[in-house]
Amino acid sequence: MKPLLQIESMTKLFGGVHALEEVSLDLHSGEVVGVIGHNGAGKSTLMKIVSGALRPDHGRIRIDGETVTLDSPIRAHQLGIEMIFQDLALLDNLNATENFFLGRELTRSFLGFRWNDAQRMQTIAKEAIHNINPHFHRFRTEVGLLSGGQRQSVAIARAVHLDTRVLIMDEPTAALGPEETEMVRQLVLRLKKRALGIFLIGHDLQDILRLSDRIVAMRGGRVVGTVEAARASEDDLLGMIISGKVPAAALPGPGAVTLDQEKD
Amino acid sequence: MKKKAKTLILSALAVATGAQALLAATVGVSWARFQEERWVTDEKALEERLEELGHRLLTADARGSSTRQAADIEGLLARGVDVLLVVGHDTQAVIPAVQRALDDGVPVIAYERQIKHPDVTYVGFDPVLVGRAQARALLEVQPDGNYVLIKGGQQDQYAHGTYQGQMDEIGPLVEDGTIDIIAEQWTTDWKPEVAQANMENIITAQGDRIDAVLCSNDGMASGVVAAMEQAGLVGLPLSGQDGDVAAVNRIARGSQTMTAWKDVRVLGRRAADLADAIAKGKDLASLPGATTFTDEELGIEQLAFPLDPTTITANNLELMIEAGWVTREQVCRGVPPGTAEICES
Amino acid sequence: MSWHDVLRTLDPRHKRLLALGASLVVIWVVFDLLSGGLFFSPRNFYNLAVQSSTVALLTVGMVLVIITRNIDLSVGSVLGLTGMVIAILQIEVFPAAAGWNWPLTLAIGLIAGTLIGLWQGFLVAYVGIPSFVVTLAGLLIFRGLTFEISQGQTFSPFQAGYRIFGGGQQGSLGEAASWIVGGVALVVLLGALARRLRSGEASLPFTLLGGLFASALTLFMIYQFNAYDRPRTDLGYGIPSPLLLLTLAATWIGLFVNRAPVGRHVYAVGQNLEAARLVGVPVRRVVLKVFALMGLLCAVGAVITTSRLNAGTTNLGTLLELNVIAAAVIGGASLDGGRGSILGGILGAFVIQSLDTGMVLIGVSSSLRQILIGFVLIGAVWVDRIAVRRS
Repeated sequence: MKPLLQIESMTKLFGGVHALEEVSLDLHSGEVVGVIGHNGAGKSTLMKIVSGALRPDHGRIRIDGETVTLDSPIRAHQLGIEMIFQDLALLDNLNATENFFLGRELTRSFLGFRWNDAQRMQTIAKEAIHNINPHFHRFRTEVGLLSGGQRQSVAIARAVHLDTRVLIMDEPTAALGPEETEMVRQLVLRLKKRALGIFLIGHDLQDILRLSDRIVAMRGGRVVGTVEAARASEDDLLGMIISGKVPAAALPGPGAVTLDQEKD
Repeated sequence: MKKKAKTLILSALAVATGAQALLAATVGVSWARFQEERWVTDEKALEERLEELGHRLLTADARGSSTRQAADIEGLLARGVDVLLVVGHDTQAVIPAVQRALDDGVPVIAYERQIKHPDVTYVGFDPVLVGRAQARALLEVQPDGNYVLIKGGQQDQYAHGTYQGQMDEIGPLVEDGTIDIIAEQWTTDWKPEVAQANMENIITAQGDRIDAVLCSNDGMASGVVAAMEQAGLVGLPLSGQDGDVAAVNRIARGSQTMTAWKDVRVLGRRAADLADAIAKGKDLASLPGATTFTDEELGIEQLAFPLDPTTITANNLELMIEAGWVTREQVCRGVPPGTAEICES
Repeated sequence: MSWHDVLRTLDPRHKRLLALGASLVVIWVVFDLLSGGLFFSPRNFYNLAVQSSTVALLTVGMVLVIITRNIDLSVGSVLGLTGMVIAILQIEVFPAAAGWNWPLTLAIGLIAGTLIGLWQGFLVAYVGIPSFVVTLAGLLIFRGLTFEISQGQTFSPFQAGYRIFGGGQQGSLGEAASWIVGGVALVVLLGALARRLRSGEASLPFTLLGGLFASALTLFMIYQFNAYDRPRTDLGYGIPSPLLLLTLAATWIGLFVNRAPVGRHVYAVGQNLEAARLVGVPVRRVVLKVFALMGLLCAVGAVITTSRLNAGTTNLGTLLELNVIAAAVIGGASLDGGRGSILGGILGAFVIQSLDTGMVLIGVSSSLRQILIGFVLIGAVWVDRIAVRRS
């Protein structure tokens, strides 16, 4: 099966230092790929490139096998790529509906100007958020006053509505209690069923192991190796991110290819 | 090498044009706030006259700040001025800087605004005389009744001087009840729009009881006229000073009674002559027009050359046109035919 | 339900508006008592409305600037410069008798103001210089330019047609038109309130209190404007043009802020610039637009002020920025960005001007007036902080 998203030889330099060096990865639809590594390993840089917030120095991204240019978050959005940031990028002084459509408001024309189509936005946001979290009802409250899980619901609903195909989640379970973490897990499972491809970035290896299908470890701007979550242990993951040790169970693939090239 | 040659040529020229040029002095002037209509004219008159006499002018503008003025004066001293003219923004606060100049042996002339210091020579249109002229002109057309006073900026000594002059004239009449001051307001920075708002509010408070408005300058008078027009108070006696083009036009139209005109070119030339006399080592006290200002409270006596403003009314507008201060076209702009003699020709 | 409960159910933003309205009424009543009934005289209301309009108009723009977490210190200088440009062109450059003169100079003035705003917005949004620096420089540059082009002269008088913008004899609506305009305003206002109530944006107590206050104020003001007779007639002045300009501008801008995407973007930019950028808000264009609007409003303010004064002077608008920023802050705009209301800013401007006017009426000196307004500024923010901490 052709991968949904392919990242090929991605390279990014910050002031002469390699933040990313020849990184290749792929993601299938209905698959959750965990991306792990220390701070500075390059996982955030990689995800920012995929979400259009950063432009690479070198490398290619394909969707359904076709090369695409990702030069802005809006472009990424048009291609069905969404990222949920660790701080969720919600604005505390706006309510759930306003946040849901921020930067992409639905409008109708009147007297030659574009005005908010409040009714339509309200209906759509309500439906989308209820899809994610049926218990959510505080649509008029400023999101600054909502709980962590409720805020997460708004952010995820915003990210996956319409034609989202690739979702990047940055530390979705950080700062959440066990109950709310479980809620996020349910969400991820639901999204998988909708055939989304998901990148999961995180530090909590236990959560990553539970939520992912495959796990990619990064170190110093390179991919160390890829493992199948069902066949890896927490120690395997630690070994990869700390010392770059690739476990026996590692998969061949784009990640491994990079290593092979290095050996040459 | 080049410089030496230049000096040589200059000296030769100096010899050729007489001994006067050998005494060429650098005159510095520290403006308080240059951005008003009149100072441009001051500077031009000063510079022209000084050039005529073979001297050089350096200027600095304190832009309405006492601290900046102190720095300006130090800067001028550093640039080696021989005589210093000062228009004090705050005539009290500027004294330490003036003292420094005097200590350096640089004579100081207080220009237009009096600086109370025994060693400073004062030349200027005396604000007290301005205030008196304003009051006298209004008393001529409105000898009694209810007066409103629109005064200048409260932080400005000059405004207080004008006020003092006004009170010199109307004070006794207030005492004996001939005149009643029904309202008075200081005006932040002499701003016309502030004067307008204040006048509107005074009209609200006093209504049609107002008989005359003793206003301290022409800019504020424009605000007062706008306020009176709205309330339908047309043609009330109103004073001003400076001889602004707009004010002269109002006098022709009949909406302002007088302006105390300080032909600042006279002042500029006078100050230049004084600087010249200092440069030539003459005794200022023996010059014509010299007098002594005494402040008994401070125990200060200082040499002064007070200039009297000219009272301009509808009867002598011609004077300003002849002096080249305004054109007939400016005076008569918008004046209905048959209302002002001066505009009939 | 007791008063206390009603107050507690109110949205903090609505509470602030009601508090401002209430303080305004208190200030008016106190000054009316102190001045022996002068404050509520028709003439005073007319003057108060005209005097407040320019500051209120600029405050509308300043509130938006502050919401985006910027500041504009140059508004007084921009007003001075555009006013001077209009004055010189109309009085010195173009023929005094030409009918096209004042409309053309007016248009040039408005364009000049907008261009200045765009320039400052460009420096802030695209070059990344802090707005404090850009507009501090603007304060100096534009005041200096005003002087350079005028050489310190005062220019007067303007064409008669131009004077319709300054209120007074030429710039008032007259009685009949005032009642019509007032009626339309009331219908629009109550309609908007009813809509907010239906959609749940406003609570019932706020709708009732706000609607009552606004209708009473509108009717009372128009009654007063009409009761102020033109000199030597019994024809009332009616609504002064500056107030009409303010109302139209504020309504129009308010519509965009509340009902168009750009309004949400303005709040988003001020609250969290990075987050707004990441979700796709065109943050730089938003800031650019806000500064352009501020420049345009300065030009409109210049038109009102010069038309009213019937003269262009070099120190027109000096220190105005302070009153405008104070009004915005009293009206609830937070210098931390993301918070502020246009209506609040307008009420703030009226509070400041009412204090100033009232004190002149009872003969308080200008220095004491400054002191009191300074304290009111601190007091307003203090009360606000307490309210925020409680909720």
